[in-house]
Amino acid sequence: MAQEKMLTGCAAAARGAQLAEVEVVCSYPIRPYTAIMMELAKMVANGELNAEFIHGEGEHAQVSVVLGAAAAGARAFTGSSGVGVTYAMEVYSPMSGGRYPVQMAIADRSLDPPGDFGSEHTDAMSTRGQGWILGWASSPQEILDNTLIAYRVGEDKRVMLPQMTCQDGYFLSHIADKVSVPDISQVREFLPPFKAHNPLSLTCPVSHGPQIRPDQGAPMDAQRAATFFDVPKVIEEATADFNRIFKRNYDPFLEKYKTEDADIAFLIQGAHANTCRKVVDALRKQGVKAGMARPRWIIPWPTHQIAEALGHVKALGVVETSTCYGGSMRGGNLAPEVRASLYDLDERPLVTSFMAGLGGETIWPEEFHHMAKVLTQMIKDKRASQYSYWVGFEG
Amino acid sequence: MNVDYKFQKLEPAKSFKAINRAEMYVPGHRTCAGCGPALNYRLVAKAAGPDTIFIGPTGCMYVANASYLCTPYAVSWIHAQITNGGAVASGIEAAFKTLARKKKYDGPFPNIIVMAGDGGSVDIGLQAMSAMMYRNHKVLFICYDNESYANTGIQTSPTTPYGANTTFTPPGKEIPEGKVLFPKYVPQMVIGGHPAVKYVATTSVAHPLDLTNKVRKALTYECPTFLHMLAPCPKGWKFDEKLTREMAKLAVETGMWSLFEWENGVYKYQNVPKTYKPIAEYMKNQGRFSHLKPEHIAKMQAFVDERIANVKANTAIPIPTPSSRS
Repeated sequence: MAQEKMLTGCAAAARGAQLAEVEVVCSYPIRPYTAIMMELAKMVANGELNAEFIHGEGEHAQVSVVLGAAAAGARAFTGSSGVGVTYAMEVYSPMSGGRYPVQMAIADRSLDPPGDFGSEHTDAMSTRGQGWILGWASSPQEILDNTLIAYRVGEDKRVMLPQMTCQDGYFLSHIADKVSVPDISQVREFLPPFKAHNPLSLTCPVSHGPQIRPDQGAPMDAQRAATFFDVPKVIEEATADFNRIFKRNYDPFLEKYKTEDADIAFLIQGAHANTCRKVVDALRKQGVKAGMARPRWIIPWPTHQIAEALGHVKALGVVETSTCYGGSMRGGNLAPEVRASLYDLDERPLVTSFMAGLGGETIWPEEFHHMAKVLTQMIKDKRASQYSYWVGFEG
Repeated sequence: MNVDYKFQKLEPAKSFKAINRAEMYVPGHRTCAGCGPALNYRLVAKAAGPDTIFIGPTGCMYVANASYLCTPYAVSWIHAQITNGGAVASGIEAAFKTLARKKKYDGPFPNIIVMAGDGGSVDIGLQAMSAMMYRNHKVLFICYDNESYANTGIQTSPTTPYGANTTFTPPGKEIPEGKVLFPKYVPQMVIGGHPAVKYVATTSVAHPLDLTNKVRKALTYECPTFLHMLAPCPKGWKFDEKLTREMAKLAVETGMWSLFEWENGVYKYQNVPKTYKPIAEYMKNQGRFSHLKPEHIAKMQAFVDERIANVKANTAIPIPTPSSRS
């Protein structure tokens, strides 16, 4: 039977890993994700998780250790935050190229300088393009659930890719919420034991990761890319199974909140969506037809789902919680993707972006109301006069 | 929890012919003629036998060895980054331990061997190597030392000897000796800082039976172990490729390299010459030293003299004092 518990985001991620019966865990301390590893360390010490708990000597080592573990056929789990995520950068491509479906839990944190504990999504967003599945939760419940869904998708034999399951630092990682913790027998029904393709073996010798010629590179890249065409299908199946077994109601790709008849809409990832929903309700009361969409997965990017769900709105504000200095939208990472997703439509929304929630700042309801005004003005002007607005720093 | 992980016991071989004749490192590689590291690899693989997994951090033994669809390994092998051989090995070892505990694996515990070059061991790979040893993984870490970053075109590494001409230490008017620094002394870095390590030894490709038995002994220990293996490089050291074995032999005869075992705190030296030959005899056949003037060779000789001072007393090789370096 499922049990209801009050869990922080970190505790929820650890519970997810425990329920997934991970076999090798590699830790290194960095705030705010550290508590995930503290929870897992306790479980191993108390005999509640039969796993090797390895103290990595850094994030680069963490990812390397779980690579080795997955190559030898174990389900492996690690995690990080902020500059820890970027320190491990070298090993992300070998992981996805080697098709090792490990999972890395990220509690987002700003990058340096200056040192800042606050949440910001730039850390994990910097790893896009490395071949990992990348998703954001907006509640401790969703964190636990995504841990299981991501393993199921990543370990599917049509996929075999590593996953980053992300949560906002502090806003989720350190705030407790009600979580329905599923029963292990149900989890086993949803998530079969990990079966590696061609693990390192004594009886059937294999070579992993040999050197290739330049002309052999392109076909391998094409193969990795083609796999990502199949991932959405697998995400859909896994989410449907998950909803059925655990009685949840997740949209596989895009949470849609009052978008059907919306004139203005926000697109936002992660926990700030919780504030955004409330503001959408308030705007509706004021007679503004507002809506919100929240991608659950950033990689694979839900191109068609965004076009379908948001193509009809008149003005769309992408709330950026990560930076891409000098990028095409002069702001963050999502807006260029959103604009590209809408390009093929005959009629497209006006699109701008709002830089907010950086460095760990809360995005206050007043700020969402301000963004709504900008979007309403855009409809009147019939144009978006700026690519991005740095909320709180305008003129 | 008491678990039988089925660790292997490899008996010592009385003669080279007495070990299993099956080769675990077979044709298919593209190393240079006379390659010391390739010969070294073959000896290690043969000594370890079939129940082995190699971790190969980037280096010559990756780039020139492991070509897609024709790798020379008859046992399982995995590439690691040049940075993380020790970490990848740790993960593999941990996986086999958990899988054995969960009864998902019931075969013999594999010989897990990291075959890293000097860069992958004691330069960019040092952190991962040291952490693996600290954490007490049952892994044999091998540094096959060809004394440079050879695969990238002979650049200096921390084990490149003083006075060597490499493409990053070219001798010139201002810096006549080429490399001005003295090398890291690898075995003592391991011995001095890693309480879990119970066995460390040095080998050379000119002493194959000694090498074989050190590999087998290291693999029989249920803890991290370390071998520092001298593997001369004809391209990097600029000597005639038929002299690979001769260079390794001369290194031992001149004191440039000492063969020893350090076992549970005790040093034991092998093949100690009655009288050491002057190092000039070792250097004269190597183009990397051909630019050196007598005063440079004297400086090098002083350094070596200090290193071999304690060998006959079966104690630790000292790290030479600054006076011999100035």
